[in-house]
Amino acid sequence: MNPTSATQLLHVEDLVLHFRTGNGTVQAVDGVDFDLDANRAVVILGESGCGKSSLAKAMLRLLPRNVESYSGKVFLHGADVMTLDEEEFRHNVRWAAMSLVPQAAMNALNPVLRVGEQVAEPAMVHLGVSKAEAFLQARRMFQHVGVPEDFLSRYPFELSGGMRQRVALAMALVTSPALIVLDEPTSALDLLTQANIMNVLKRIKHELGTSFILITHDIATSSELADEVAIMYAGQIVEVGEARDFFSEPLHPYSQMLMASVPRLRSDSDPMFITGQPPSLVNLPEGCRFAARCPFRMEKCGGEPPVVRRGNRKVKCWLHV
Amino acid sequence: MAVVAQSPSENAGAKVSLRNSTFLRVSRYVVVRLLTLFATVVVGVYLTIMIANMGGYVDQIMRSQVRDTITQKIALNPAMQKLDPAVRKQLIEETITQEEERLGLNVPLAVRNARYLTNALTLNLGRAINMTSDAGSKQVRLIILERLPATLLLMGSSQLFLFFASIFLALGLSRRYGNFWDKLVVALSPTSAVPAWFYGIFLILIFAAIFQILPFGGMVDSPPPSGTLAYSLNLLKHLILPASSLVISSFFLSIYNYRTFFLIYSSEDYVEMAKAKGLPARDIESRYILRPTLPNIITNFALLIITLWTGATITETVFLWPGLGRTLYRAIGLYDIPIIVGSTIIYAYLLAMTVFLLDFVYALVDPRVKIGEN
Repeated sequence: MNPTSATQLLHVEDLVLHFRTGNGTVQAVDGVDFDLDANRAVVILGESGCGKSSLAKAMLRLLPRNVESYSGKVFLHGADVMTLDEEEFRHNVRWAAMSLVPQAAMNALNPVLRVGEQVAEPAMVHLGVSKAEAFLQARRMFQHVGVPEDFLSRYPFELSGGMRQRVALAMALVTSPALIVLDEPTSALDLLTQANIMNVLKRIKHELGTSFILITHDIATSSELADEVAIMYAGQIVEVGEARDFFSEPLHPYSQMLMASVPRLRSDSDPMFITGQPPSLVNLPEGCRFAARCPFRMEKCGGEPPVVRRGNRKVKCWLHV
Repeated sequence: MAVVAQSPSENAGAKVSLRNSTFLRVSRYVVVRLLTLFATVVVGVYLTIMIANMGGYVDQIMRSQVRDTITQKIALNPAMQKLDPAVRKQLIEETITQEEERLGLNVPLAVRNARYLTNALTLNLGRAINMTSDAGSKQVRLIILERLPATLLLMGSSQLFLFFASIFLALGLSRRYGNFWDKLVVALSPTSAVPAWFYGIFLILIFAAIFQILPFGGMVDSPPPSGTLAYSLNLLKHLILPASSLVISSFFLSIYNYRTFFLIYSSEDYVEMAKAKGLPARDIESRYILRPTLPNIITNFALLIITLWTGATITETVFLWPGLGRTLYRAIGLYDIPIIVGSTIIYAYLLAMTVFLLDFVYALVDPRVKIGEN
């Protein structure tokens, strides 16, 4: 992909986010690269603890107090937002260009403010519109995500889990940002509600032209929305490519095993398991981080694997050199 | 058509019954709550009465005091010395009986306690046993009223300043966890282990004795300056040291407390979300930290307002401040039960009223709270 292409929305280069803990440095996000075009959805797949949520935090610069290092380049519409100071970032990036749908919408809403107010708030702050206009916009977004309009005057505790998630989605959409980061948006919901939310996302992408970064561990649910898939393992992206290509032929051994672990509707084969555990992000092995669990392990795997291009796909593995 | 015509009236009916059920729920709650609070006040005041007269031991002390005083008075009276010893003894006994009747000591303790209790509950505070107001009245009400303004001035100014200053500063610190000022406040918070009067002594030493710019104590100069402005300035000058010592002794711990409290609430997901939404820090502080914690802050404030009533006993004593704390302290020393009970009953009523009203305030500021719902 050409980094200067006109349709390119996002270009992330060598993004690093390390935390300091009592046990040592947690390398949660360790040199992540990926690109995203306008009106496309990339699904970032990975196990629990592989650094997916930290990636979402790093994108929006929502850093905890124990950050050890935070570096890299994030180009949004061609401009590096990592060089912005805190106030510029707050004003120009957060919700203006990129918004977030959090993991647990349950707790992400202020319990004592009406949801309408919370949804309209970013529009007032970032678009500088009047309160009435912001509420009008919030009302419009409620229609988009399928929440009844009179819910604007409700409090979060008066909504069901699925409704809260939709409200969180409406909140992310209210400023019409080009990009929305969804951090496991459906993991706390039941299957039917999950499917509903995914449908809402597909419709929004179609109607509003928004791009999505969908962070999840749920391959089945996310596959419908995905234009591209990125597989994250131990703080790094080990494979990224077109969703169609990926689902028909995953390249990285980890991706292959991950796909084999998904139960299939029209197949008799039992799902497979990946033996062992992902490495601790505090104590990462030399070379390939998956080597210890990899059935194709070679001697070379002790050295840092190169990123290999295969058409418009990329894979970080010695097998494909 | 019939359905259309029917449905609004049905709707209205449902609304009325809903309103009725709300009314019932709230009134049931109010009745039960008032009764339990009243029972609490009764028990509290009765215990105070029992403790104030030490379960009846104070009676014995007073009886022997009366006997001592009267025996000595009559024995030392030259006019009485010529009397026949038997007559004199009878006179002494009669006078003692009279005096005991006057003090009500002839009535059994239980009856007197019941009388104290009913008088107290009806705010009929009665007369002090030994103490008088500066104007010379023995009325408990007047003694308390005379001291109240001084206490409210001292406690009110220091505690209100402390409350608002610590919330304001704590809110700022909680957003700057671990920076220099935050660490400084944490490091200085043990200064509150020292009581206010101790700081008071040092402040007096420095500003009254060495620099001689502020008075040693009291509330106004003697004689008081004439003219409202001169009087107020003089009062203010006397207020600085006692109020400062009260503020200093609680300042850092109070900030530290609120800072930790806000820090806990700042780690809520919705605060993180507000930050993600790119809201200005001011909005995050007021709408996402302060607003959800308002019930706790209002509780603290309400309790603070009523504790103003009790005064600061030792600090008032160190600064010769004519407040209620000192009066109560003296009343305890002198077993002046009516004053102790009078002061307690007013505090008990204020506390009960505050607790009662707070429930309604919670329902106003927190949409999740509904009066009378479990």
